[in-house]
Amino acid sequence: MNVLIWLAGILLILMILVGGHKGARSFIAIIYNFAVILFTVLLMTVPNADPIIITIIASTIISCINLFYINEVNRTTKTAFISTVITIIMLLMFIFVFTEKSMIQGFGEEEIEEIGIFTLFIGIDFIKIATAVIIMSTIGAITDTAMAISSPMREIFIHNPTISRKELFFSGMSIGKDILGTSTNTLFFAFFGGYLGLLIWFKDLSYSLGEIINSKVFSAEMITILCAGIGVALIIPVTASITAYYLVKARNQNKH
Amino acid sequence: MIKKIGYAIIGLSFVASIFFVYHNYSFYDRPIAEVVKTTLIDSVDIENEDQIFTQRLLAELKNGPAKGELIELTNDYSLSGANDQKFQLGSEIFVSINEDSTSSELTGSIEDIKRDKYVVIVGWVFIFTLLLVGRKQGLFSIISLVVNAVLLSYALDLYLSTSGISLLLISGVSIILFTVISLLLVNGLNEKTYAAIIATLLGTFLSLLITYIVMVITNENGLRYEEMQFITRPYKMVFMAGVFIGALGAVMDVAITMSSSIFSLYEKNHQISVEALKKSGLEIGKDIMGTMTNILFFAYISGSIPMLLLYLKNGSTWMFTLSMNLSLELARALAGGIGIVLTIPIGLYTAIYFVNRKRARA
Repeated sequence: MNVLIWLAGILLILMILVGGHKGARSFIAIIYNFAVILFTVLLMTVPNADPIIITIIASTIISCINLFYINEVNRTTKTAFISTVITIIMLLMFIFVFTEKSMIQGFGEEEIEEIGIFTLFIGIDFIKIATAVIIMSTIGAITDTAMAISSPMREIFIHNPTISRKELFFSGMSIGKDILGTSTNTLFFAFFGGYLGLLIWFKDLSYSLGEIINSKVFSAEMITILCAGIGVALIIPVTASITAYYLVKARNQNKH
Repeated sequence: MIKKIGYAIIGLSFVASIFFVYHNYSFYDRPIAEVVKTTLIDSVDIENEDQIFTQRLLAELKNGPAKGELIELTNDYSLSGANDQKFQLGSEIFVSINEDSTSSELTGSIEDIKRDKYVVIVGWVFIFTLLLVGRKQGLFSIISLVVNAVLLSYALDLYLSTSGISLLLISGVSIILFTVISLLLVNGLNEKTYAAIIATLLGTFLSLLITYIVMVITNENGLRYEEMQFITRPYKMVFMAGVFIGALGAVMDVAITMSSSIFSLYEKNHQISVEALKKSGLEIGKDIMGTMTNILFFAYISGSIPMLLLYLKNGSTWMFTLSMNLSLELARALAGGIGIVLTIPIGLYTAIYFVNRKRARA
C-alpha cells in the first residue's frame, strides 16, 4: 500500500481520536485546501489569466475554509478574515516588487538540468507565479495568527465591556507579541526542513558564500522565509486594530 | 540606556550593511557589470504561447582590471521568464569577459545576477517589522532564527566532514538543541518551558517512529524520490531528516500552547482538578490542530506550484504531474501533521505531570 494513504489514514484516525468531531472537520479542511491549490494551478495554466488575481481569490477562499469552516461564522472569524485579506494584499505588493527586482522567478540553473525535456516557454509570467508561491506558503500561518489574536481579544472585550478601543488594541498587540516567536519558529523550521537537501548540496559542491547568496535558488528561498516572517508579524497590528475597531463600533451602535 | 545602545547598534549595522552591498564589487572575483543601455533588437513568437526577445546591453564593469570600461552583452528573454529575465537600466550582472575581445570593445556573456542587495534589503524589512511589532519578543525570534540557522549549518558541516556519523543521528542531536534553544528563547526559563521541551521531543520522536514504520511496511511505495532536487547524498536520509526538522517548529508551537494554557489554568485556580485540566486542554488542542496542520501543508505544497505548471503546460497528465511532484511534499505535510496531533495529548499529560509535581511541593 501507498505510503501517503497510510500516513493520511493515521493522521485521520489520530485527529478523530484527539479532536472528535472537530478533528474530522480539520482533516476535511485539509482536503478542501488541497483541492483549492489544485484548482488554482489549473486556473494558472489558462492563457492570459493573471496569476496575482487568481492568488488573491484563492487566498480568500482558503481563509474562508480555515476560519469559517474549521471554526464558524461569528464576529471573531469575520474580523480575522478581513485582517487576513488586507495583510495578503499588502504583502503581495511588497513581494511582487522584490521578486521582480531580484529576478528570483522560475527555476535555478541547478534545477534546469533535470527538466531539460520540457519547454520553458509556456506563456506564464513566472514573476507573478513566484509572488503567488510566497503568498500561498504563508497563508496558513497568517490565518492562524489572525485567529489566535482576534479570538482572545473578544474574550477580553466580553470580560471588560467598557474597555476603550485603544486599550483593546494594545491587549491585542501584547497577545500578538507572545505568539510571534512561536509562529515565526513554525515557519522557519518548515522551510529549514524543506531546504535541507539544498543546503547539503551547496556545502557538498563547496559553493563560495558569494555564489550561494547570489544564486537564484538560495536567494529565492531566503526571500521566501523572510517574507513569510514579515507576513506573520504584519498580521498582528492589522488584526489588533481591525478587531478593536469593530468590537468597539458594535458596542457603540448597540447603545444608541 | 541599554535600549539606546541597542537602537544605535541596529541603526549602524543597517546603514553599514546597505552601504556594503551597494559597494562590495571588489569583494567578488567574478566580473560584475551594471547595465547602462538596453536596445531591443529582435522578437520571435513561439506557437502563440510565448515570445522571445533579444536585447543588446551595454554595461559598465564595476570591478577587476577592466573596471570602468563598457562591455557589450546580448540577452534573450521570454515573456514567461522561467529561466531568463529582462534586464533594465541599473541591473547588475555577473559576466564573463571574452578573451578575444579587443580592448576598445569588450564583449562577454551573462553568467548570473547579483542578488545580494535584495536579500539584505528584505532581511532588514523583516528585522524592522519584527522589532516594531514584537519589540523584545521580536528580537528574541530574530536571535532564535539566527542561532538555529548557524546551528543547522554547523551540524551539516559536521555531517559532511565526518563520513562515519549518520545524518539521522546528527539531526536527532540537532533537534534536541533546536528545541531547547528555541523554547528557552521564546518562553524563558520556567516549568512551562521544561514541560514543552519534553512534550516536543516525545512528539517528534514518536512521529518519526510512526513514519519510519509506515515506510518500512509499505516499502516506500508511492514516494517518488526522483523528484528530489539538489541531492548529493543518500536521499532517503536527507528526506527523513528534512521531515523532522520541518515539523519541529509546529510541534514546538503546539507543545508550548498546551503547557502555557494548562499552567495558566492552574495559576488562576490552584484547586482545579486534573479532570478539568484534561477537559480544557483537549478543547484547546482541538482548536489548534486544524490550523497548525494547515500551516505545514501550505508551506510545503506551495513551493511545487511552478513545477506543476511546467509539467501541465508541457502536456503531462494530472496523475503523472501530481505523483511526480507532490508525493514527497504530501508525505512531509502528513508526517508533520501526525507529529502535531500526537503532541496535543503528550503536551497535555506532560503539563499535568508538571502541575501535579508543583502541587505536591506546595
